[in-house]
This record gives sequence, structure tokens and C-alpha cells, in this order.
Amino acid sequence: MNRLQVRKVSVTYRKKTGLKPVSLEATGGEIVGLIGADGAGKSSLMHAIAGAKSFDGEIKFDNHIYSSPKEAEKVKGSIGLMPQGLGLILYEQLSVNEHLDFFADIRGIRQDSAFKTYRERLLHMAGLSDFTERQAGKLSGGMMQKLALICTLLHRPKLLLLDEPTTGVDPLSRMELWDILNDIIAKEKTLCIVSTAYMAEATKMDRVFLFEDGEIIDKGKAGELIEKVRPFSYEAAPEPFEKSITIHGYTYSLKPLKLKPKEPTLDAVFFINFIKKYGPIPEISIVHKDRDEDVPATIMEAKGLTKRFGEFVANDHIDMELNRGEILGLLGANGAGKTTFIKMLLGLLPIDDGELFLLGERIKSSDDRQILKAKIGYVSQHFALYKGMSVRENLRYFANMHHIESERISGLIREYANTLGFYRYLDVLPTDLPMGINQRFSVAAAIMHEPVVLFLDEPTSGVDVVARAVFWEMLQRLKDEWNIAILITTHYMSEAEFCDRVVLLRDGKKITDDTVKNLYQIHPDAHNFEDIFLDYYNSN
Amino acid sequence: MKAFLAIIRKELLEFLRSYGLLIVVLYSFTLDVYIAGNGINLDARNVSVGVIDYSPGFISNKILSDLHYPQFQEPVFFTSQEKLNLAIRNKEIMVGIVFESDFEKRYHTGNNPVLNLLLDSTASTQSYLALNYIRHILMRFQDTSSLAPAEIQIHKLFNPNTSYSHFMALSEFLSIITLLAVILTAAVFVKEKENGTWDIMLLMPTDAKAVILAKSLSQVIIVMVGTFVCVGTVLFGIFDLPINGSLAAFMLLTFFYAFTSAGIGLFIASVSRNIMQVAQLSVLIMMPLIFLSGAWTPVYAMHPILECLSIISPLRYYIQGSESVFFRGTALIDLWEYFAGVIVLGGVMFWYGFRKIGKLF
Amino acid sequence: MRIGVIKAYFKKELLDIYRSKLILMVYIMPSMLLILFGYGIKTEVTHTRTLIIDNDQSKASYDLVSTFEHSKYFNSEVKNLSENRALDLIKQDKKDLIIIIPEEFEKHLLKGLKTSVGVYIDGSFPSRAKTTENYVNGIIYDTIMKRSVSKAESKALITINARNLFNQSLRDEDMIVPGVISLVLLIAPAVLSALLIVKEKENGTIFNFYSSSVKKSEFLAAKLLPVLLLHGINIFILFLWAIYLFELPFRGSFLLYTFSSLIYIIISLSVGLLVSIITSSQIVAYVLTLIITIIPGFLYSGMLMPISSMEEESVIVAHIYPVMYYTHILYDVFLVGDGLSASKNVLYLIILVGYAAILLTVGSLLLKKRIA
Repeated sequence: MNRLQVRKVSVTYRKKTGLKPVSLEATGGEIVGLIGADGAGKSSLMHAIAGAKSFDGEIKFDNHIYSSPKEAEKVKGSIGLMPQGLGLILYEQLSVNEHLDFFADIRGIRQDSAFKTYRERLLHMAGLSDFTERQAGKLSGGMMQKLALICTLLHRPKLLLLDEPTTGVDPLSRMELWDILNDIIAKEKTLCIVSTAYMAEATKMDRVFLFEDGEIIDKGKAGELIEKVRPFSYEAAPEPFEKSITIHGYTYSLKPLKLKPKEPTLDAVFFINFIKKYGPIPEISIVHKDRDEDVPATIMEAKGLTKRFGEFVANDHIDMELNRGEILGLLGANGAGKTTFIKMLLGLLPIDDGELFLLGERIKSSDDRQILKAKIGYVSQHFALYKGMSVRENLRYFANMHHIESERISGLIREYANTLGFYRYLDVLPTDLPMGINQRFSVAAAIMHEPVVLFLDEPTSGVDVVARAVFWEMLQRLKDEWNIAILITTHYMSEAEFCDRVVLLRDGKKITDDTVKNLYQIHPDAHNFEDIFLDYYNSN
Repeated sequence: MKAFLAIIRKELLEFLRSYGLLIVVLYSFTLDVYIAGNGINLDARNVSVGVIDYSPGFISNKILSDLHYPQFQEPVFFTSQEKLNLAIRNKEIMVGIVFESDFEKRYHTGNNPVLNLLLDSTASTQSYLALNYIRHILMRFQDTSSLAPAEIQIHKLFNPNTSYSHFMALSEFLSIITLLAVILTAAVFVKEKENGTWDIMLLMPTDAKAVILAKSLSQVIIVMVGTFVCVGTVLFGIFDLPINGSLAAFMLLTFFYAFTSAGIGLFIASVSRNIMQVAQLSVLIMMPLIFLSGAWTPVYAMHPILECLSIISPLRYYIQGSESVFFRGTALIDLWEYFAGVIVLGGVMFWYGFRKIGKLF
Repeated sequence: MRIGVIKAYFKKELLDIYRSKLILMVYIMPSMLLILFGYGIKTEVTHTRTLIIDNDQSKASYDLVSTFEHSKYFNSEVKNLSENRALDLIKQDKKDLIIIIPEEFEKHLLKGLKTSVGVYIDGSFPSRAKTTENYVNGIIYDTIMKRSVSKAESKALITINARNLFNQSLRDEDMIVPGVISLVLLIAPAVLSALLIVKEKENGTIFNFYSSSVKKSEFLAAKLLPVLLLHGINIFILFLWAIYLFELPFRGSFLLYTFSSLIYIIISLSVGLLVSIITSSQIVAYVLTLIITIIPGFLYSGMLMPISSMEEESVIVAHIYPVMYYTHILYDVFLVGDGLSASKNVLYLIILVGYAAILLTVGSLLLKKRIA
């Protein structure tokens, strides 16, 4: 029986603590979930177990006891680690087949017929059978993660450590990833430890451990965790109560309220914990701005926008409109053409065909964009921030780039930091901050110049539950108070529900464009938006 | 203007916080230049001499007594040709002198006395110089000036003592400026491309040309600070480099040259996707430019085609200009060609960079 | 060590190097450096831009002028300028050498009276100035001697019978090319091995090593062998350039050349390994490797000066770097040809092997198989 025992393991980095002493046990065939905010210690624990980081304490697996990476050598053959980051362990220049060969060889696997069958099966499950000659650098994010997973599974590890394998991956690929995992675990009796930012995934696991600030603060089956917070969840209150959080149709409160109870999800655990630790979420507000009414109602209009990369058509005659005071969700699998589309809108990629109107003006060349720049805000994937500068320095830099008057900058930074709730992190480097904070302050950087339209490319990937909720609150406020238009891409289908309208792309083509409400009417069987998404993707 | 300053401030801040790079740059401008200036001496000094003397030894000893420091080491005597040969092969001896048994007799009778020299010419410069020293020594020994009364008054201008450390330190310093200005600038741009921040820069209401210029200028500033440090501490401080022209003119030329090199960096960055490619391209582009600059062989001594090509090497103008300022003491007005060459080439580089990465579609 | 693991990494590295076009750097850079330096560094000074001011206009002065005009070392021009104007030409970098023949030059010579020829040399480029000085001295003395010394007198003078061992014609190439080979084989493998390791660190693929049972020795072998192999081929390419393009003699043993070069590459890639241990970004690794290899590579390659004529402290430093030992063997195989029959070559080869072993051991001890 593969049995993992972690005894008082703690991890320290040069200056800070990554993990306070934690202990846990798990056995083969189990899927153990690690959930918690970014920087809560999940990765540190996985690195320690995998023997990739030195730690204090003791780990026992497979009847070997180790307390350092060196001693862990003897179990590494039966462990598979997939670190955090899209396709992190892949080599851009190698093809799918070459990856499998490489991983098989470094794991010292005999390439017999049994292995070949297994390998074919993995390829098939990952849907990569037809792409064996494609180089990893040219795969979509979802395919990369599937490839990384099957590479990690190749040596049939008894202990599988997956660090946010589904972050940044579309719902379809996510489902496929889980299918592979479930299949393997059932057959091989693998012990699987997975961290995830998708609570829907955590509910399906055998047990979850809830991490916070380097400690395990709760554990048990997802149901048990939910059970504990059941008394604190209510239907959304029309008005805010003291010491409560009202968000996404729920009100969470430690004190009993005279409200109708509502069936909580795993998300509730995070909010309740947040209240316990910090009290209610500080009110998010938006810096006041006068509505400029001379902005046209249609902010962006695309007519037949097309982008080709050689033979490959990334965007195939896409028509789209974005209106003032609207949040438009742009959904689609990895590689469906979402980022390409946004880049064409912004002028970062040339438009091969079609017409584009921004703020009523036809865009023909870069000169037409020059005056519009001041009215556009953009947050790219991975929040492009300068890692060598503190949050304050970053913001000051962007403010200067936007020609904001020097006297106003300090005040403005303070205001945004206060309202968006990252004031105490102002003098910290982005690399030392949780993703959620980075995300909020990169939005601050993008809206300081008060644009009329905001383009957001996967701003919520890898961000924890509470931070994501706060983020959406912020977008709502922006929309309501500034009346701006927001175009956002995301892989969290639950977030699609917060959009006013949703556009779905598939293989570079627009396959639907409708309000969320209408979509639910068209798909009466759907329990959630993920079902609708899969409906479109599974139908031919 | 504000955005311009903000970019410079930001780049300098980021540079100062990447300690690894900071240390490497500091090292380059100080120790590295010092080592180069201190280590290389192309002069024939300390030449090791091996002697086989078959003659009675009166004349030969008189001649040998003229071989002395700093040009020559104390002669070592050998008893056989084989032993001398072996010593030369092992690089213990560079010059072998053989006095035949009839040497003294012939000398006294005026019958073609011959001095046999064996030179290790794997170091051909030094052998050649050593040969010339010995020729001089013989001339003085025999007082040929009484035979031919002409004297040659040689004035070596600008560097009368033929100091190599001045020249080598200056050369190394010029190379360091080139290397760093090109690579640092290329890295700054490629890093933004890799991290995706470049896209954001392009979307800023600030003109992308200004962004590019500011980023380049920030690296030029780093190089200029390095220049001040190097000139102040190493060149003037340690090597006591004389300067015959105007320091301000040199600094101005350096500034423009650093900008042009930054332009080359920009060019490299605009065609590279990552640091690896920068690393490759910078060597492939810089080496020919250094070759064509006349740093090794003066431009006028090159093949005519190469001589033509050399006009595209900004280093050519910079080296000639700097040497002119330091050694020749050329007046500012006479430096105009060098300024023009550097500025024109820089302009071309930036023009390309602007077009290639400084534009939205 | 498991061959399979090494083979897998090996194959991956080669594919990666090939597809990322790094292969261009591996093969173009060394050859380019060799050709550029081989043609570029000349100790022979030709085409010196010379201005002759002939204030005598006599037979003797014409003789002297025509000797200069017929020499390939000088591009001479005769002009009547004032001394100051002429000096300005040097200042403006228009001329490198000015020769002033005094009035009554011939008369004085015939009468055996003192006369002096003025020579001004641009000393900015010291080695060239020195060489020019020697050429000028030689030409003027010869001309004067021919005119004023009788046959009997000249017979009494000691003549020098110089034999240049190993490099009879004093060819620059013979001296420069082996030096450049040693320089190139120091820089290029170091850069490549440093980049190969730091790249994995920067991209995160290093986790494949951290989290698998790949041993440190296997990882090292896998990273360093491709470098050794790729640059091993350069040993032959550089050899061919040297022999066919630069027409160097090859008097020693090819086996010794190959073996010592391979050892030297191991030393170089170990330097890269050490750099990769202390750096985590490719750009720092790259610049650092360049700077720590180029200068010692130049100084102690013997290309510019023999170790024996260095100052005492420099001689000690030269012995600390491995460059000198390899260069010694290189000059031997190309120009001398004693091979292993010379005890010094054997000793130096052993020292090189020792270096390789020490650097490699230190590198592998410092390399950690875990996140820092």
C-alpha cells in the first residue's frame, strides 16, 4: 500500500516562511486536494514531498523515510511532480513524441510493448494522438497541460503531485485532464495530491486540505467542510449587515442573521475563513469620475475581423460589438483565438481582413490609434508588471506614462490602493505578493487614466476565490459608476454569469453571441454555464 | 517629457536592483580594464637569453654585458647546441646566441665576424624586436656612428615611452563600452518582449519612439557612469593616462557612441525573440564590426573592399576619435568626421528599431 | 550512471540546439572569430602613411626617398611642408610617419660631418610605432652605410646570422592562429554550457531534473556531453581553417592536438558550469562568461606576448590559468613538433587533465539538485 506520511514538515525560503510545520497522511487511490490562497504553502509542501526543496521535518513514503532532497532520491522514481505554470516542464522546441521519449528515458522506462500500449492510451486520452509531431511551443495552453500531465504519468508514479494543473486551462481540456487522472488512479491505485483554484474540482476529491498562511487550517471531505459553513450562508441580503460579506448572491455571516439560509458551495469556506481572520471584506469602491457623455454608445465594432498565421486561420471573419456600460465575456477553449482577437483590437497584431471601428472611428493605420490610446485600458495575461519595482513604483511609472500630472499621482495611488484594498502592499515587490493582489493593482495601473474601455485577458487565472470575487465586484462598480465598456476573457465559467453578454469562440470562429439569460433559455438542461459551454463545444 | 523621465528612472531602478548585472558591469569597468592594461606588454622585455660560447670570450663577454634589464634577462650559458635547442623548445629561452670558436679572431682581423642567433619565433613580435635590440647593441659596440655620421632623431609623438598599458587599457575600455551598450540595451528590450510588457508600452499614450529613446538613454546613462568611473579611477587614477585633447570632447563622443551601440542593441532586440538569440546575434554582429573598426589593423592597411565596408563600423570612428583625443590631442573641430560617422550610423539603427518594434498596426 | 538517461537528455539538447538555431552560434562563432582574428591581427606593419620632407634635394636624399617609395611597408608621399604643418597632419590622423631630411644632407655625409634625419612617429598604437621605428631605423642606416662605409670597413663589422626557429618567415598567422584557437575553445564551450543550464533554470524545466531520479552526475553528463561533442567537431574545423586557409605547418601529433583540445573544452565547459551555478538569468550568465574568459584567454594565449617576457606577478597569474598550458601544447603541435617526447608537454598535459578534473568536481559538488 502506498502510504504517505508527512510529519511536521516546514519550508523556509531565504527570508520568509513558505510552510509552517504541517502533518498529513494519505493512501494510494486517494485524491487529496490542496486548496487555499496563492502563497498559502501548497506549492512548498509539494516541492518538499517531491524532494525538490530542502525542508525540516520528516516524510515517509513507500516505506522510505526522508528529511532532505538527497534522502528523497530513492523515492523519486515513484513520484511524479507537475509544477505550477502552463507547460512549465515542457521544452518549446520538442515535439509531443519527443517529449514522451525524453520522459520515458530519463525515468529509465523499458520501451516494451506494454509501455507502448500505455503510451498510446495516454496520448489518446489526452487527445494528442493527432499532434504527435507538433512542437510544444506551438500547442495551446490546454494541450500543453495535458502533455505535461501524461509526461508526468509516463513512469506510473505511485505518488502524483499536481500543482494547479488546471489553472489557465479551458473547461473542455480541464474535463479531459480529470478524465485521465480518474482513469489512472482507478487502475494504478495512485495517490494523487492536487492543488486547484477551481472549487468545483475540489468537491470531487476524496479529501481536501485548506491552507492559509503556511498552515493547514481545515481538512476533510469537501462535503464536511461545506457542512461546517452551512450555518453561516444565507441568501443575499438586500442591504449589507455588520461583519458580513455579501457577494455573488450569498451573504456570509458568523452571527446568525434573519435571512433565508442558502445551500453553500466550497467557495463559502473561503469567505467564512476570511471573515474569521480579517472580518468583512473592506468595501470596494471606485475613485469618482464624471461620466463623459460624449462617448458613443458603441465602443468597438468589428466587422469580419480575420487573422491568419500562414495556413492557420486564428480568427475567421469575426463580427462583434462592444457597448458602453457593458461587460462582455469572450469565452473559448485555449487556442480558440481570444487573445489574437484582443491583440488585433489593440493593434498589437495587424488585421488581415475586415474592418474595425473604435469609438466610432474606422481604424486603418496606427495613426488612427494614437488619440485613442488615452481612452483604452489593457491588462494582459500574467499581468505584465515590472518585477524589480515595488507596487508603488510600478503605479507611479504607469501614471507617468499616461501623462497624469505629478501632483495628482501620489494622491491617486493612495486612493486606488485604498479603494481596491492593496494599501498595505504598496512598498512590496510584485514577486513577493499573492496573485490576487497583483491582479488588482495591475487593473489599477490600467484604469488610472480613466479609460472608457477596458480589455482584460484572463485576469483571474490562478487567483484565489476571495480575490476573484472582490475583483468582479470591482468590475461591476467600474461598469456602474464609470459606465465603461469591459471586454474580458476567462476560463472560469462561473464568471461568465457575471457578464452581461457572452461571445463564444471556437477554432477562430464565433459560434454564439448572446446574453447569459438567453443562453440559459436556449439550454434549459444546463445546471451552470460550464454545461452550456460544453454543449457548444461537444456539438459539431 | 515626464513619461520620458519616468522610463529612465524605472530602468535605472531595475538595473540597480539586479545585483548580478550590477556587479558584472562594475567589474567590467574597473578590474577588467585594469587587468588588460596591466597584463599586456607587447614590448620585448625580459627576453631570456641562452648562450653557447666557443670563442675565447673577451669580445663575447663584452657584447653580452650589454644585454641587460629591462630588455634582457641575465644570459644563461649552455654547453651544447642540443641543450640550448631544448631550452628554446620548452620556451625557457627565447633568444640563443652562439659564438663560434673563430669569432674573436675574425673580429680582430676584420674578416667577416658572424654572430649566430637562434630565435624562438612562435612569438614573432618579440623575436623581431629582440633581434633589433641586438643589432643596436652591436652598432653601439662597434661605434658605427663614427663611420657614418648621420644620426636619426626619432620622436615618438604622444606616447614617447611606448607605454602599452595606456593603449591596452584604453582599448579594453572601448571594447567594454561597446559590449555593454549593445548587450544591456538589447536585453532591456527583449526582456520586455518576453514578459509581455512591451505590448503595454506600445499602448501607452506616450509616443513609442520616445519610449525607445528613453529606454536606450537609460542604458547609455549606465554606460556613461561606468565611463566616468573607469576613466576616473582606472585610466587616470591607476594608469595615469595622459590626455592631450579635451576630456569633454571625449565624453561627448562616448555619449554618442554609446547611443549608437544602444541602437545596435535595439536592432538586435527587434529581430530576436529571447535572450538566447540576443546572445548569438550580438557576437555575430559585434565581432565583424570590431574587425572592421581598425582596432587590430588600421583601416588604410586593409583590403580595399574591407576598407570600404569599414565605414559601417561605428567603432571605427569611435576608436580613431578617442585615440585622437587622448594621444594626438586633436582639436574638437577636427573630430567632426568621427562625430558625424557615429551619429549617422546611430540614426540608421534607431530608424530601423522604430519601424520594427515601435509601432502598432 | 544510466546510459539511457544521458542519451535522452543528450538527444533533447541536440534537438533543442538545432531547432532554436543555437547551432549557428556553435559553428559560426568559432570559425568567424578565427578568420577575423587570423586576418585581423597583423604585427607586420604595412602601408604606413608616410610624409617625407626633402630639404636637400640631392642624390643621396633621392636615394633615401626612393627606398621608402619602393618599400611595401610605407605609402610615402614627398611634399614640402613646414614641420608644424606636417605635425598637424599626424594630429589629424592623416599621416603616421614624417621623415625630414635636413639641408646639406649629402654634403655632410660626404664630408663625414654630423647630420641628423628627423623622424616623427605617431605613437598612439604602441606596437605599430615600435615596429615602424625599427623599419625606419633599418632603412636609413642601410642607405647611409652604403654611401659612406668602405668595403674594408664593412667587412670588419659583425654581421648577424639569425635563424628563426619554428616560424622561419616570421609569419603572423603562425603566431596568431594557434592563439585564437585556444581563445575560441575557451569562450565558446563555456558560453554554451552556461546557457544550457541557466536556460532550464529560467524556464522551469529544471524541475524535470529536481523531481526525477536523474542523478547529478547524469544531469551533468547530459548537459556537458553535447557541448563537448559539438565543440569537439570544432576542433577539426578550426584545424582545417588553420592548415588550408592560413597555411600553418602542422609538425606535431594530431592525436595530441585532439586529445589536449578535448581536455581543454572540458575545462571551458566546466567554467560555464560554474557560472551557471551562481547565476539564474541567461543574460547575466552570458555577459559574465564572456568577460571572465575573453581577457585571460587573450592575455595568456601567447598571441600577444610570450609568458616569459611578462612581469613576475603576471607570470604567476599566467600559471594559475589553464590557458598557458594548452597554448604551449598548441604551438608545439603546429610549429615545433616535439610532442610527448618533450617532458614539458607531458607535464602540461597532465596539468590540463588535473584542471579539468578539479573544475568538473567543484562544479558538480556545487550544483544542487533542489530549489535554491
